[in-house]
Amino acid sequence: MDSAEETAVVESHQNSRHAELGLSDETVVEMYYRLVQARTVDEKMWTLHRQGKIHFIISCRGQEGIQIGSAFALRRGEDFVMPYYRDTGVALVLGMTPRDLMLSVFAREADPASGGRQMPGHFGYPRLRIITGSSPVATQLPQAAGVALASKIKGEAAVTAVYFGDGATSKGDWHEGLNFAGIHKLPVVFICENNGYAISVPQNKQMAIRDIADRAAGYGFPGIIVDGNDVLASYTVTKQAVQRALKGDGPTFIEAKTFRVAPHSSDDDDRRYRSREEVEEWKRRDPIERFKRYLEEVNLLDDSLDQRIREMVLEEVNEAVDFAEKSPLPSREDLMKYVYYNS
Amino acid sequence: MKQRSQASAQPRAVSLPLDKETLLHFLNKMILIRRVEEKVAEIYTRAKAGGFVHLNIGEEAAIVGAASSLADRDYLFTSYRDHGWALVKGVAPRAVMAELYGKATGCSKGRGGSMHLFDSKVRFMGGYAIVGGMIPIATGTALAVTYRGTDEVAMCVFGEGATNIGSFHEGLNVAKLWQLPVVFVCTNNLYGMGTAVRRASSVSEIYRKACAYDMVAERIDGMDVVATRDACLRAVERARKDHEPSLVELVTYRFRGHSMADPARYRTDDEVRWWRERDPISSLEQKMKDSGMLTQQEIDDIEAAVSRVVTESVQYAESSPAPGLDDLYKDVYVQSEGQ
Ligand SMILES: Cc1ncc(C[n+]2csc(CCOP(=O)(O)OP(=O)(O)O)c2C)c(N)n1
Ligand SMILES: Cc1ncc(C[n+]2csc(CCOP(=O)(O)OP(=O)(O)O)c2C)c(N)n1
Repeated sequence: MDSAEETAVVESHQNSRHAELGLSDETVVEMYYRLVQARTVDEKMWTLHRQGKIHFIISCRGQEGIQIGSAFALRRGEDFVMPYYRDTGVALVLGMTPRDLMLSVFAREADPASGGRQMPGHFGYPRLRIITGSSPVATQLPQAAGVALASKIKGEAAVTAVYFGDGATSKGDWHEGLNFAGIHKLPVVFICENNGYAISVPQNKQMAIRDIADRAAGYGFPGIIVDGNDVLASYTVTKQAVQRALKGDGPTFIEAKTFRVAPHSSDDDDRRYRSREEVEEWKRRDPIERFKRYLEEVNLLDDSLDQRIREMVLEEVNEAVDFAEKSPLPSREDLMKYVYYNS
Repeated sequence: MKQRSQASAQPRAVSLPLDKETLLHFLNKMILIRRVEEKVAEIYTRAKAGGFVHLNIGEEAAIVGAASSLADRDYLFTSYRDHGWALVKGVAPRAVMAELYGKATGCSKGRGGSMHLFDSKVRFMGGYAIVGGMIPIATGTALAVTYRGTDEVAMCVFGEGATNIGSFHEGLNVAKLWQLPVVFVCTNNLYGMGTAVRRASSVSEIYRKACAYDMVAERIDGMDVVATRDACLRAVERARKDHEPSLVELVTYRFRGHSMADPARYRTDDEVRWWRERDPISSLEQKMKDSGMLTQQEIDDIEAAVSRVVTESVQYAESSPAPGLDDLYKDVYVQSEGQ
């Protein structure tokens, strides 16, 4: 490499997208690490499922871009976060570990979300302000408005970020949650991971509109569309929404266009309702590959670093599986524990 | 966006593009509603009618304009504020009054009372006491129409408060998605019980909510019977011919409290006076007189005829029998023949 070329690289690095967003080189490499971690946890869970060791999983695969990007814009342990079942990436960024997630799918006593009681994907961790969800679709929306109302009443500078899919936006609870947040200008960031399907129902059989963001106008706050497979764009819109909420300007609705490349859950056969071509097309737009190319362009990642990251993650995930497998199941005596909250 | 607002915050004067006969018909129905409601208030105060009573006084133009845009074969669903709607759809005044008295001759056989008037013969499909509860039911009726391949329209009426309920969202989403022949009519009387619209709804102009469904929507001065009728006719035709649902917002005002039990202390006297000066009945009368379509004599004749109907319906209700004790379990479930 001659020196002119070198200078060009350094310059482009300084003017890089992430530097302009105020993100350090370390942070974007950590983002990549989280992307790989989420994907690896997911792949490992599928393997465990096929081995008959665990019974049910819901996949984040394909949606890691919006999950990692948005979660990096939240303030860990300060903002309240209500992920939905697909948000493995969000949970990991906010501080849940692969061990925590494996304890949950193995239904172990030490599962921090529920002591092995909840279905997989019901992330929860009080200390990290990750609020566990109920299984019926969209119940988290009125709950999110309530959490944000509590913050507002207490005068606490916390934002509530709530995640859900496109299908959830057809639910009445969804409407009530957004309406309430709109009236009271609550500090909520609504993040819709529009993956085009609610199980087998494509978006055009679910609603008559193309952009779900259009719905925000009915509640008097902005609706933003973002490419959910673009990590930095996802980060940016979430960051702006958080700042808006902290200023007291009220909620923002973010629609992230993305795709789940896996079936809906480990019990679903998606070949019955969508073509392989469609799935392959989206695999080519994989958010992780895309971010990897970006990091390579700005000279923050090369094959050897990528290799190291993947090995590190794999080791961590394998260790988590061993740990969870060996840890004890909830005991019979504790059956009635955690049914009601005991102070 | 297929949306427009025809009403500013201020109601306009009544427009008069119609012939005298039609306008007289509207006036007649509006006066009928007003006088029936006044009588209902009286009998309720005298404890002759039980349960809750929600009056339509002030909303007569919205009711007559909207309900008269329907054909006999079309279906009408409303909230508990239903007396006027039932009358215009064709339920006999005496059957309405008898229902308020809880008599066996009432349109719901004395079981429903004020909030649950019902008469399937004239396709008045009921008042519903659960706020927003009628929206999925009306939408389902429109689905049944589509399924059968006939050409009826379902009109579904609710207050602005109901648009904050989940069933509103679910109903409108599905209606547009499946292109159902339904007209959603929101009577925006600015209050849901004691809660002003801006305190319960993140947008105060209800028609704007239609953007979430890509649905045609209009905001209309609901104190103007002709403008209301025009907008609703357009919506009914769109539903019938194109299977295109609509949301029509009628800006109106109830002159009395939410129910008979509400002294309405949450509104200023000035506000109420402002709206009373825009009384839909006297506005129409004045407008017709000004254009030489109406004489005081004709008004007096209408009032006299309506008064006879009201008196007769009260006598009918008072002299009718209460439902028999033996019939207590009748009409709880549908029974097939032979049972
Ligand atoms: C009220 C309710 N209805 C149905 C279900 C079954 N269900 C679970 S997930 C799901 C699809 C939701 O789709 P979407 O919100 O788009 O999220 P996605 O799974 O696509 O990420 C359904 C219908 C449920 N859990 N709750
Ligand atoms: C689901 C439900 N919640 C609350 C009530 C109590 N309630 C009866 S009427 C009413 C106000 C509804 O206001 P709106 O829809 O604007 O209709 P309006 O009475 O003004 O015609 C409420 C809250 C109810 N009947 N149903």
